[in-house]
Amino acid sequence: MTYSLICLPFLAVAVVLSLAAARRLPPAARRRRWLAIGFAGALVLVLTGVFDSLMVAAGLFGYVEGTRLGPTIGMAPIEDFAYPIVTVLLVPAIWTLARRRRARGGRGED
Amino acid sequence: MTGFTYLGALLASIAAMALIDVRWRLAFRRAPAASALAVGAGTLVLLAWDLAGIGFGVFFRGDSAWATGVLLAPELPLEEPVFLVFLCYLSLVAVLGVERMLERRSGAQGGDAASDAVTDAATRSSQTDAATRPTETNAAARSGGRPS
Repeated sequence: MTYSLICLPFLAVAVVLSLAAARRLPPAARRRRWLAIGFAGALVLVLTGVFDSLMVAAGLFGYVEGTRLGPTIGMAPIEDFAYPIVTVLLVPAIWTLARRRRARGGRGED
Repeated sequence: MTGFTYLGALLASIAAMALIDVRWRLAFRRAPAASALAVGAGTLVLLAWDLAGIGFGVFFRGDSAWATGVLLAPELPLEEPVFLVFLCYLSLVAVLGVERMLERRSGAQGGDAASDAVTDAATRSSQTDAATRPTETNAAARSGGRPS
């Protein structure tokens, strides 16, 4: 249970920032952004299932008993899949927000 | 040397991702500062997440033969921030890459053969010439002129 509760605030921040970034895109680009997040998210989730399992199997890290919900995909606990969900939402959102800010700043110097 | 397997694999993956990024001008060549900020800030957020997990006693470092064994903090191996950089970079390149494919597809549907070149030019000018060409105008120009 502990692990899933730790994930929640990070998921919330990622959702809020991705919405804020999408609002700043023109309609066609916004539609492409959500589609791209869907496709890229599916890809990164599959990669997580494969490579997270390998990393757990290789003994790179472990999880303390009783902190997880229980279900796993391969050897990866389902909570680990919150990481790729957050990154596909959050990282492109920061990228878009940073570009917009820069473009606005540049116009101001005009 | 086996201790460097994981770190080496991560660095090789980041390098391969950079090749894809540069070849298709997706992130760093298109908007270096925004890309650095996105990957950097994303990594810091995930690092805070990891530290929360370690603090609440969820994660522990494995004693793997494939890892260097160097620790940055209790239960936080040297490899972890490198992995987080890779995950953020992969996510950025994947989203921007799919976006590019969707963009090209809609350009092809509009029958505009020069649309890729226009998109690239608009992308470049929004970086080098932001003072005179606000990105909003470029984006509008890009999305305009085709059926939606």
